[in-house]
Amino acid sequence: MMKKILLFIKSKLFLFGAAGVFIGLLFSLAMYEGLHRTSDDKFCIVCHEMAPMVAAYHNDVHGGAGKTGIKVTCVTCHLPHDNVLAYIATKARNGVVEGAIHFFGNPDAIDWHANRANKEHFVEDEGCIGCHTNYKTNTNISAKGLKMHAHYESLKNTDKKIGCASCHAEVGHHGLKSMLNYYKPEYPYYNGKLDKQKEEVEKKLSETLK
Amino acid sequence: MRSKKTLFSIGVFLLLSAMSLIGSEAATPSPAKEIPISAEMKEKFPIKAHHAKLSLKCTDCHENQGDNPENFKLIGDEGCLSCHKSKVYLAERLKFMDTLHVNPHNSIHDGPKLYCDECHFEHQKSDNMCLSCHSNDVKLWMRETP
Ligand code: HEC
Ligand code: HEC
Ligand code: HEC
Ligand code: HEC
Ligand code: HEC
Ligand code: HEC
Ligand code: HEC
Ligand code: HEC
Repeated sequence: MMKKILLFIKSKLFLFGAAGVFIGLLFSLAMYEGLHRTSDDKFCIVCHEMAPMVAAYHNDVHGGAGKTGIKVTCVTCHLPHDNVLAYIATKARNGVVEGAIHFFGNPDAIDWHANRANKEHFVEDEGCIGCHTNYKTNTNISAKGLKMHAHYESLKNTDKKIGCASCHAEVGHHGLKSMLNYYKPEYPYYNGKLDKQKEEVEKKLSETLK
Repeated sequence: MRSKKTLFSIGVFLLLSAMSLIGSEAATPSPAKEIPISAEMKEKFPIKAHHAKLSLKCTDCHENQGDNPENFKLIGDEGCLSCHKSKVYLAERLKFMDTLHVNPHNSIHDGPKLYCDECHFEHQKSDNMCLSCHSNDVKLWMRETP
């Protein structure tokens, strides 16, 4: 009996494997979906790999550090992925390894520095425009700013399309590059020399999120 | 009777949407008239990848410098800072380097005061003025000047 089952599995090994991979992929995507749909900083930091982003967010005018004290929820700028298929397509297009692999793999190995090159794909311009409604006409913005916004508009429906974040680096996360370096230095020279900064950040984070 | 009413309201809806589309077209400011740039000039003055990615045009940097690209001049710190805000802001973006006093935008010797073109060039390979004295250390401290 045992032997028969084993044989059966063996003969259908490929099928079993494929089904396993498929179910795993769906499962992890569903998890990703569910997780990224809920919205605030307290939730997002559940995963420790989000810590530098949340810390830099707290230093930004969008994260409560400005005069107005406004706190924009994470998902206003990072819309949840509308549907699983579109998500897979985007991931494939970005040439980024699929999300599923990250969940089964090692999150500490993610190269967040390099990932910033994909920011056009994970920052939702509609979110920005929802608040900055008159960014094309607001005369309080410098002439250069308005010229650039017209430029943005002129590229919008072309293959050269850019995002708000293409120009507004580190918006939403003030000092993101430095923060990422405190957690994981880009250059070997800094290894072990920025730990004090990281400790301070962690201390402040746990106080803020208490 | 009913379907006619539906048809009518759909018609009105479409008309209104079309009008709002046209309206929004008109509201966007049209970009200034383009100066024609020959392929030869484009080849002679290539643009850095980080700026080319944004499809920046010659006149986004060479503002108010006339219609003849042959006569374009340097744009100076002010030109760079019209998009890059301020030297203090740029120093802040590399703040982690301050810990070891090697921030090129906040020099241990001069603070956030250096001219951009002591290191950055647009149409040729950039340089790094720190190299002139610290020829070995600079490549450990920071990447090649973009
Ligand atoms: C279960 C742990 C976990 C939680 C909770 C979590 N994230 Fe993530 N997040 C990750 C991992 C792992 C990645 C990298 C995966 C990848 O590259 O696909 C990631 C990537 C991202 C990215 C970059 C996306 C990309 O395509 O490169 C953004 C933006 C992001 N998360 C925002 C959020 C927001 C907003 C929240 C809270 C609503 C949140 N995350 C909560 C684990 C988490
Ligand atoms: C005001 C809009 C805004 C808000 C609010 C915001 N972000 Fe972001 N986020 C951005 C932008 C813009 C970037 C890309 C920045 C860059 O690379 O220059 C980004 C990048 C990220 C990344 C990717 C970083 C990398 O190195 O690849 C993660 C993860 C992320 N945000 C998570 C969050 C979380 C978690 C929150 C809430 C605590 C949040 N964001 C709130 C705009 C926002
Ligand atoms: C919920 C509304 C809201 C959203 C969404 C939002 N902003 Fe803002 N933004 C504000 C407010 C309010 C301020 C002024 C904050 C202050 O000064 O305290 C601001 C300030 C700014 C500034 C000037 C300050 C600075 O950091 O340089 C820029 C640029 C900016 N936002 C760009 C963006 C971009 C790009 C996005 C999308 C990634 C975005 N905003 C999303 C509300 C929003
Ligand atoms: C091609 C580059 C570019 C793009 C794309 C771009 N901006 Fe800007 N933006 C600028 C420049 C340059 C300024 C003026 C300098 C500054 O203050 O940052 C500016 C200024 C602003 C300001 C005023 C900031 C202040 O402190 O006065 C806001 C708000 C803003 N942009 C929002 C947006 C939003 C929202 C988007 C996306 C819809 C966007 N920008 C896309 C280049 C750009
Ligand atoms: C028309 C607007 C504009 C002007 C003028 C401009 N830049 Fe930029 N530049 C940008 C934008 C937008 C980015 C991408 C966002 C960012 O990193 O700030 C960028 C990116 C860069 C980068 C980053 C490269 C990297 O690898 O991260 C450097 C270096 C740079 N610019 C230097 C300069 C210098 C030097 C000047 C003056 C000669 C200049 N820029 C003038 C818009 C401009
Ligand atoms: C002493 C040399 C030096 C001077 C002067 C200098 N830079 Fe830089 N800049 C660099 C180097 C080196 C980097 C790369 C740092 C790194 O990431 O390792 C850089 C990076 C940058 C970046 C990208 C920052 C980022 O977050 O990655 C911008 C934008 C920039 N410079 C603009 C300017 C502008 C504008 C000026 C003039 C006001 C200027 N720089 C003056 C050497 C210099
Ligand atoms: C990102 C800003 C930027 C853009 C875009 C740009 N330039 Fe320049 N240009 C500069 C700077 C800075 C200099 C000073 C020399 C250098 O850095 O290479 C310069 C110098 C020049 C000079 C004078 C050289 C000299 O030594 O006097 C000419 C001519 C020129 N550019 C032509 C062009 C043409 C043609 C284009 C479009 C194809 C263009 N530039 C696009 C920034 C820019
Ligand atoms: C004209 C020559 C010169 C230039 C240019 C120069 N330095 Fe220095 N620097 C020196 C001298 C001399 C010392 C003191 C020597 C010592 O104490 O070792 C020094 C010391 C330093 C130190 C502390 C000692 C060490 O080696 O750790 C740092 C860090 C430093 N320089 C960074 C820079 C950076 C970053 C730049 C570019 C923005 C720069 N220097 C440009 C001459 C120069």
